[in-house]
Amino acid sequence: MNPVLIDKPSPTTQAPPPVRRVDNKRGTWGMAFFIATEACLFLAMFFAYYYTDKSSSQWRSEIPPKLHYSLPMLAVLLISSAVLYWGEQQVKKERYAAGRLALIGTIILGVGFLVLTYFEDMEHLQHLTPRTDSYGSIFYAITSLHGAHVLFGLLMLTWVLVMPRWEPALYTPHRPYHNVAMYWHFVDTVWIFIVALLYVAPNLYNYA
Amino acid sequence: MSTAVEQRLFELWETPKTLKGLLSTVDHKQIGKRYIATAMVFLLIGGIEALIMRIQLARPDQSILGPETYNQIFTMHGMTMIFWYASPILSGFGVYLVPLMIGSRDMAFPRFNAFTYWTYLLSGVLLYISPFMGQSPHGGWFAYVPYTTVPFSPGWGMDFYNTSLLLLTISTTGGAINFIVTILRLRASGMAVSKMPLFLYSTLTVSFVTVFALPSLTAANIFLELDRRWGTHFFDVAHGGNVVLWQHLFWFFGHPWVYIIFLPATGMISLIVPVFSRRPIVGYAYVAVSTVLTGIVGFGVWVHHMFAIGEGHMGMSFFSAASMTISIFTIVQVWAWLATIWKGHPVLTTAMHFAIGFIALIVVGGLSGVVTAVIPVDWQMTDTYFVVSHIHYVLVGANMMPVFAAFYYWLPKMTGRMLDEKLGKISFWIMFVGFNLAFFPMHLLGVLGMPRRIYTYKAGLGWDGINMLITVGAFILAFGILLSLINFFWSLKNGRLAGRNPWNADTLEWSTESPPAPYGSVHIPTVVTRHPLWDEHEEEDDPKGERVLDQDRLTLSSTWLDAETFSLSRMPEDTILPLLLAIGFFVLFIALTFQWYWVALGCVVYSLAVAAIWFWPKPQEGELA
Repeated sequence: MNPVLIDKPSPTTQAPPPVRRVDNKRGTWGMAFFIATEACLFLAMFFAYYYTDKSSSQWRSEIPPKLHYSLPMLAVLLISSAVLYWGEQQVKKERYAAGRLALIGTIILGVGFLVLTYFEDMEHLQHLTPRTDSYGSIFYAITSLHGAHVLFGLLMLTWVLVMPRWEPALYTPHRPYHNVAMYWHFVDTVWIFIVALLYVAPNLYNYA
Repeated sequence: MSTAVEQRLFELWETPKTLKGLLSTVDHKQIGKRYIATAMVFLLIGGIEALIMRIQLARPDQSILGPETYNQIFTMHGMTMIFWYASPILSGFGVYLVPLMIGSRDMAFPRFNAFTYWTYLLSGVLLYISPFMGQSPHGGWFAYVPYTTVPFSPGWGMDFYNTSLLLLTISTTGGAINFIVTILRLRASGMAVSKMPLFLYSTLTVSFVTVFALPSLTAANIFLELDRRWGTHFFDVAHGGNVVLWQHLFWFFGHPWVYIIFLPATGMISLIVPVFSRRPIVGYAYVAVSTVLTGIVGFGVWVHHMFAIGEGHMGMSFFSAASMTISIFTIVQVWAWLATIWKGHPVLTTAMHFAIGFIALIVVGGLSGVVTAVIPVDWQMTDTYFVVSHIHYVLVGANMMPVFAAFYYWLPKMTGRMLDEKLGKISFWIMFVGFNLAFFPMHLLGVLGMPRRIYTYKAGLGWDGINMLITVGAFILAFGILLSLINFFWSLKNGRLAGRNPWNADTLEWSTESPPAPYGSVHIPTVVTRHPLWDEHEEEDDPKGERVLDQDRLTLSSTWLDAETFSLSRMPEDTILPLLLAIGFFVLFIALTFQWYWVALGCVVYSLAVAAIWFWPKPQEGELA
């Protein structure tokens, strides 16, 4: 699996390099730190949610968010992550057709998530909008930011799908499938937290 | 050394001196110089703004500036200096020096490096559109709500504040990720973490801090912009919002940012002081650990900016204690520098003058910081000139002084010419005297009760003479800076040739030519001690030519802890795509400032298209097997 360099003809007669493996993980590290900073952005937003919750007199005055869309949406994303993980394993074994199939499956599930988001929002917006109060503002800020991440993830997945090669290479992109999959798993993880903190937790409180 | 090898490497790595070459270069040396030059321009702009304010405040009851103009100028001064000068100038030195210091041929992401430079430049341009509309940000650099919401700040000023900072944040975060991956993956063989130059420790620490702290500012900017133009209620108390949320989000970013501005400068001092003391630094490990701990504990002190808002006692005590604790790590470094000078044989070059000047100023600034960490004192001093004095001692003293030390120390490497030492020392003394004349009396002014951010004051309050003194000091400081700039331009033509290692320094960048060839060193170096150029080991020793790597644009990658070489990294060619992408972002953020949403959407599509081309695989021509 490790690509090695064939020496190109060159005008000087130098010895081959001391190592022959190709570094293909710089992009992966870059993606990891990009995800870290994105995670901190969501953390800051969750902090805003709880901070305002604790200090506001006018917090979540009406019914807690319903679960009949958000939980199926969670299922959709979790399945998509599993499919993508399976696809990545196939790509590692150089079964590229299976990897491509998994990508298509992930994209379909991701689009399904966005469709469900649309219906969820249409229903939710009838009694809570971003302009209702601070709760509505923060709630929709977090979910919209996540939705934008899903959309961006889908665009990247599509881009990897149409790429002519995924094989380990000397030239960039080194591991497009793997790096984009990391991002997708991150986006899914964020949704787990959103469902737990923004959807499920309020339903567990006792509203007198 | 055979010139055929150098010729071959030169062909691989050079950027042609054409317009296309200028716009598409990914060479870290060129980009680093651009960062430094751009940041210096912002220093001059911010400095002129400061002088205008000092003219206004020189005497009581003046009306050269109206209150609104004054508000805009002090806000622009703060933003320019803190965001567009202080951090980018250090990034500039980092971008130039880090790859040379670790014996790599470029940063880990050379094209991304070009992109972060262009976005930095264009975010500054975006900010400076606002004065031409007469609507600059006017809420101070920390822009407290509710003053900065639409009812109190109509007009575009605060929208410029949000969008230009969001764009700059993209640049800064990207640059930080680039530094992290570069330092962790591309170090020369043998440069284990225990042998890294201390500048790498500080750059690495602040890069991590950047990655974790900046999103907080991003969230704050997004919330404020939504509140201003979308009718949301994050900070609207009437609809359940909370104005203190802004302060928490801003300072959770803001205080780590102080260390982002400060730590790389201490890293520079930790290289310069030992070289001119002619001995290794005392307590290398303690300095390295203090640097990292400053970065970590820096996340736990932000509430000390907010002692006056009435938080609970328990919380405030914690933040007060943390704020005092963090000074210990700075003191460790100060003692290490002093001990190095004490035990060594100091050579008082201009760079050393600035380094010692820095040590003196950081002690004063640190002491006034410890004082304000004590809550009752803070309640008395907050929003007075005492705090203004403190911030300038730590930001000008701890950023500008090391930066000028770095100028006199590293510019010969970049230009190949030495600066004039005599003029340099004159410049230092004028700057040092001017600085203390301008900022030390502010302590007194604060104790006498003069609030910050007032555009004028009544005569007879006991402030008149001190204010005049401060203004005189500010102009003396500016004159000193001007002398150094004259020195720089003079040296470009007339300076003595520097040669490879004019200071007999120990770090790897001095093993290259001055200015370095586009490929850095011919043989990728190896390292066995902390002081590669002071030891017996010949870092470019490579009889078989294994480490020349002239097959393609290649450099070596190593393991992050022990720096054992394990693979080849192939570096990208020059490309104009980073500039095209940066322009897309620039227009996008202009559109967001003025709520032209269709333009914004167009820019997003354009940027995605450019990014897709950027990351599209290159045709493979049989280089793999």
